[in-house]
Amino acid sequence: MTFFVHFWGTRGSIPTPGHMTKKYGGNTSCVEIRCDDSLFICDGGTGLRELGADLLTRGTRPITGHFFYSHTHWDHIQGFPFFTPAYAPQNTFHVYGTAQGDKRTYDLLSGQMRSEYFPVDFGELRSNIVASHLDGGHRVIDGCAVSYYEQQHPGRSWAYSFVKDGFKVVYATDNEIDLTLSDPKAVVADPLAPRTIPDAFRRFCHGADLLISDAQYFDDEYLTKVGWGHPRATTVVDLALQAEVKQLALFHHDPMHGDADVDRKIALCRERAARMNPALQVFGAREGLELRFG
Amino acid sequence: MSSHKTKNDWNDESTSEISVTLLPLSTEQAVSVLEMVQGPGAPRSYELYRVEMVIGRAIDADIPINSTDLSRRHVLIKRQPSGQHQIQDLDSRNGVFINGVKIHAAILHDGDSVQVGSLLFVYHEGRAIS
Ligand SMILES: [Zn+2]
Ligand SMILES: [Zn+2]
Repeated sequence: MTFFVHFWGTRGSIPTPGHMTKKYGGNTSCVEIRCDDSLFICDGGTGLRELGADLLTRGTRPITGHFFYSHTHWDHIQGFPFFTPAYAPQNTFHVYGTAQGDKRTYDLLSGQMRSEYFPVDFGELRSNIVASHLDGGHRVIDGCAVSYYEQQHPGRSWAYSFVKDGFKVVYATDNEIDLTLSDPKAVVADPLAPRTIPDAFRRFCHGADLLISDAQYFDDEYLTKVGWGHPRATTVVDLALQAEVKQLALFHHDPMHGDADVDRKIALCRERAARMNPALQVFGAREGLELRFG
Repeated sequence: MSSHKTKNDWNDESTSEISVTLLPLSTEQAVSVLEMVQGPGAPRSYELYRVEMVIGRAIDADIPINSTDLSRRHVLIKRQPSGQHQIQDLDSRNGVFINGVKIHAAILHDGDSVQVGSLLFVYHEGRAIS
């Protein structure tokens, strides 16, 4: 069993092309997880366009892909109309809701292709696009167990975990963990004090080989952005430590942050991790980066 | 209107037509370089002059390095159509680390550290030649 995790878009909120964001990239959320021959796609932000182009270079076999959307805010769905493999009749894509009958994501993907927004109608996509769902929060797809967890975000959002043969990858973006901390005063407390992550989420992430987490804000920025749906990057370090995660990818970089800011954010998070458990590896998710497990 | 001309002015603006010159749109890049800062013979620079270059212990690798930490064909560095360099681990035994993180593949950026076994390189991105 081998997991490959490829970052196609790591930016939060809105695409940020340009010189300042060259290293971490300007495309919005899209992560490809390949588990043996299965293709899982977490979010369809603008990074999805490039994943689509790349898939077409990998061979001529029909493509089957499983889409897991954290939620349907713009920065997570905008790449879908530009996902070329969706236009070819031999390909099949499953779009998962969280329960039977949950077609919200499917409906919004088709909704954003109405003629007021986009020249090609959803009905003209010739691939087989199936509205699918996780059964009671859980489903085994090609031997890989997929589960979800409902996060803290305006309009709701979901994290997903992928487990196979003892390897575990968690994708958890757009999650204001700070609002769920056991001590509500933690936001204004001593920034160095550990922040206690709720048990259920700690368990959901527990033992992951890789946790990809929203890490949008610096501590000082967050104070003016409480309720916007994103955490302090340093809080995510505490989550990774308490969940005994092996590697933490800081993700959903703020559109106002250039590469130098993201570098600084990573350095601060590494310092925090090193104080508590030097074994935790922290890095910044960046476009084009591919990791391998197993 | 020459009476309004101040002493500091040069000649009046010409009214003749200007011929516009187009310089070639060059996408040519100066060669990017991997600088070995730690390893046999360091410091030493390797120019990434080919589209695909393999670093390894094999004598016929594009960048052959005699180190038992290296697999025969350890890592591939490939220039993309965009001009960026992609680095890829060729299933090596000891892996490839970018800025301390074990990777399977990555796009290199100026200043990245590339570690293979005990060898340490720094990537310097080529600048556009005018
Ligand atoms: Zn977002
Ligand atoms: Zn959102």
